[in-house]
Amino acid sequence: MSLDLTQFHEIFFEESFEALDSMEAALLKLSAGEVDAELINTIFRVAHSIKGGAATFAFTEVAAFTHVLETLLDQLRSGKRQVRPEIVDVLLRSGDAMRAMLLATQHKEAIDSAGVAKLRAELDRIMGEAGTAAAAPSVAAAPAPAAAAKAGAPAATPGWRIQFIPGVDLLRHGNDPLRIIRELSSLGKVRVSVDAARVTSLSTIDPEVCVLGWKIELLGEIDRAAVQNVFEWAETECELSIERMGGEATAAAQSAAMPAPTSTPATEAATAAPHADEPQHPPRAESAARTANADGGSIRVSIEKIDELLNSVGELVITQSVLSQLAAPLEGREAGELRSALAQLERHMRALQESVMRVRMLPISFVFNRFPRLVRDLGQRLGKKIELKVTGDSTELDKTVLEKIGDPLVHLVRNSIDHGIEMPDVRVAAGKTEHGTISLHAYHKGGNVIVEVTDDGGGLRKDKILKKALERGLVTNEVELSEERILNLIFAPGFSTADVVSDVSGRGVGMDVVRRNINELGGHIQIFSTQGQGSTIRIRLPLTLAILDGQLARVGKEVYVVPIVSIVETIQVTRERVNAVAGGGQVFRLRDDYLPIVRLHSLFDIDPDHTDLLDGLLMIVEADGKRVGLFVDELMSQQQVVIKSLETNFKQVMGLAGATMLGDGRVALILDIPGIITRFQSPQERGLQTPRAA
Amino acid sequence: MIPVTEVPAPALVLDESPTRAAAPAPVHSNPNTRVTLGASCTIQEAVALRSYLLAQAAQSGPLEIDGASVQVIDTAGVQLVVAFALDCLEKGVAYKWLSRSETLEKAIDLLGVGALLEYPA
Repeated sequence: MSLDLTQFHEIFFEESFEALDSMEAALLKLSAGEVDAELINTIFRVAHSIKGGAATFAFTEVAAFTHVLETLLDQLRSGKRQVRPEIVDVLLRSGDAMRAMLLATQHKEAIDSAGVAKLRAELDRIMGEAGTAAAAPSVAAAPAPAAAAKAGAPAATPGWRIQFIPGVDLLRHGNDPLRIIRELSSLGKVRVSVDAARVTSLSTIDPEVCVLGWKIELLGEIDRAAVQNVFEWAETECELSIERMGGEATAAAQSAAMPAPTSTPATEAATAAPHADEPQHPPRAESAARTANADGGSIRVSIEKIDELLNSVGELVITQSVLSQLAAPLEGREAGELRSALAQLERHMRALQESVMRVRMLPISFVFNRFPRLVRDLGQRLGKKIELKVTGDSTELDKTVLEKIGDPLVHLVRNSIDHGIEMPDVRVAAGKTEHGTISLHAYHKGGNVIVEVTDDGGGLRKDKILKKALERGLVTNEVELSEERILNLIFAPGFSTADVVSDVSGRGVGMDVVRRNINELGGHIQIFSTQGQGSTIRIRLPLTLAILDGQLARVGKEVYVVPIVSIVETIQVTRERVNAVAGGGQVFRLRDDYLPIVRLHSLFDIDPDHTDLLDGLLMIVEADGKRVGLFVDELMSQQQVVIKSLETNFKQVMGLAGATMLGDGRVALILDIPGIITRFQSPQERGLQTPRAA
Repeated sequence: MIPVTEVPAPALVLDESPTRAAAPAPVHSNPNTRVTLGASCTIQEAVALRSYLLAQAAQSGPLEIDGASVQVIDTAGVQLVVAFALDCLEKGVAYKWLSRSETLEKAIDLLGVGALLEYPA
């Protein structure tokens, strides 16, 4: 009976990506001049382990490339070749290539064989230097597809055929296809053909949803990674396919060289493996040994299982809360004992809930680990000398928060490198050290995690910000702004202008998007800057997205949960501060501002107790720098609520972030303030447009 | 009634005056036949731009589109101009371009929508 190896593929990929992370970290240490035999051994082991696994699973292209890399690493390990910056650089790029190959294999996409062949040639050249007889042995059983393609296939026009169909939120999240295509055009010649079949008439089109789609031909010898990089910020929000031009020839060459992994029996895999004389290491065994050595034993559990567990615990918390409420009015000795037992149950429930939450927690180093490479590469590219200091990288955060904080942090660090840290000569002239410093610091504070990105660069120029804001009409001359407000102008939508945009940090994703992303996580961002001395961006994040601090508010018979982080203040309305505006709306004068009044009962079509503003309350809420007054009947208590997804259990509704169960068993909807504001501004139902006939 | 509670608020950021929020004016209206695109035609102004173009598309035409002032434009802006052009085409409202700024021209070219913006002669 043959063993179905496909069941181990995902584990192999996961472990290989982790191994590549540690290889990169070791290479960066080498790059910094720290040459130590153990570092080289670590790198060698990663390459060896991935090669073994890839060969076992018949991922022959990965195995063949890794073998070449391993040969060079062996030369470094045995002292036959000295470590020098050029080699480290090629090794880093080889790690990237291996990651890209593994990703492509994992997603059953074509490997960028041309890019791999180019890198392999560089490795061969290095190994061929100084007469070292260490040229990569050819892989007889599995010739590299690139080589096969080169030898047999006619030379097709090099390039990529890209199909790009934006998703609903692409524009709203600051990803502009125009910017993407412009970036592609900087890589090579582009031929663009647009699909406008989904464009509806002006009267029904949602102006913030991109309904155009594109087929793009990008011509030139361009790395797949470079093309993918252009879509880096958008790939989760669009349908995207990137195919090599002349795909048939390439695909044929690949399928000839690389048997389909899913259908390859174990025996075939073994014969297809390069260098069958070398012992092959099934990844599970090797990894188990490594894990046992590293942390004394752990198990890999899928996130779905943990979420199921967390969900069950959430249900228990609700049930316990219902029981407590039922017990509250009871009287007598037994009732007292019941309440005491319930109080104990509540304590245990909280402990259980916290324990389960902790399982989902991961150290922020998972995000921070990408920055040494980023700082090194960008610093080199811009000719800047930058040292990265990381502290508190063991601070733990919920996995979901962690996944979503990555991109905003990358943007902030890129900004610091590009706009913050000055060129070495400028720094020296200003009496600073030649090396700039960027610090990433994470720590816990009051139930939140704080992440700070600090640079000792030139700081923000407040005069320049103000000038730009005046030009853009974001502020007027009549109002004198505090220093904090001037700095906060950089978060205003559309603030970025040409002279602050570069290909490094000006990727069409402005600081407004960074702030929106942080706000969507229930976090908050602040900026501090001293001209000439540097800037600090401080991000406050919730520990988890599964629980929310909410203010309960009642409208008629319905109870809504308003995230406390969105609430500015709550006030009683007086008639003289309310003004009617054209179109039937009303605004409320709050100090120097006029805020639109959103009547929740109208928005959700329910019967309120009060329709006269004087009888209810106005909750001033804020999202994305916009504030509105939510009119409600009354405020109730504040409490932590367990968030239940509406999308999973019902469907996504604009203005609602989810639902929760209250102690009395009632379901309360959790308001999504940015969605409420959007819904209030464009009340027509979305998704009802009829596509224009093609 | 539960008394009014003061809830600790996050530090405030940018204020927007109601006049600015209510009436962003990316375009300059001309009641006759000219449709003038403003300096900034981005997602920030998309709602106002759509209203303006809707009003213009309702005219009997022929229309003249002036895109000379466009300094900043993104896909949202270009898409609205495309929808406007297609609306005109469907309703038989003839239009012609008076001029286009370099920025607008480049955006049209990159997004490949040039052919959609030409009213058939």
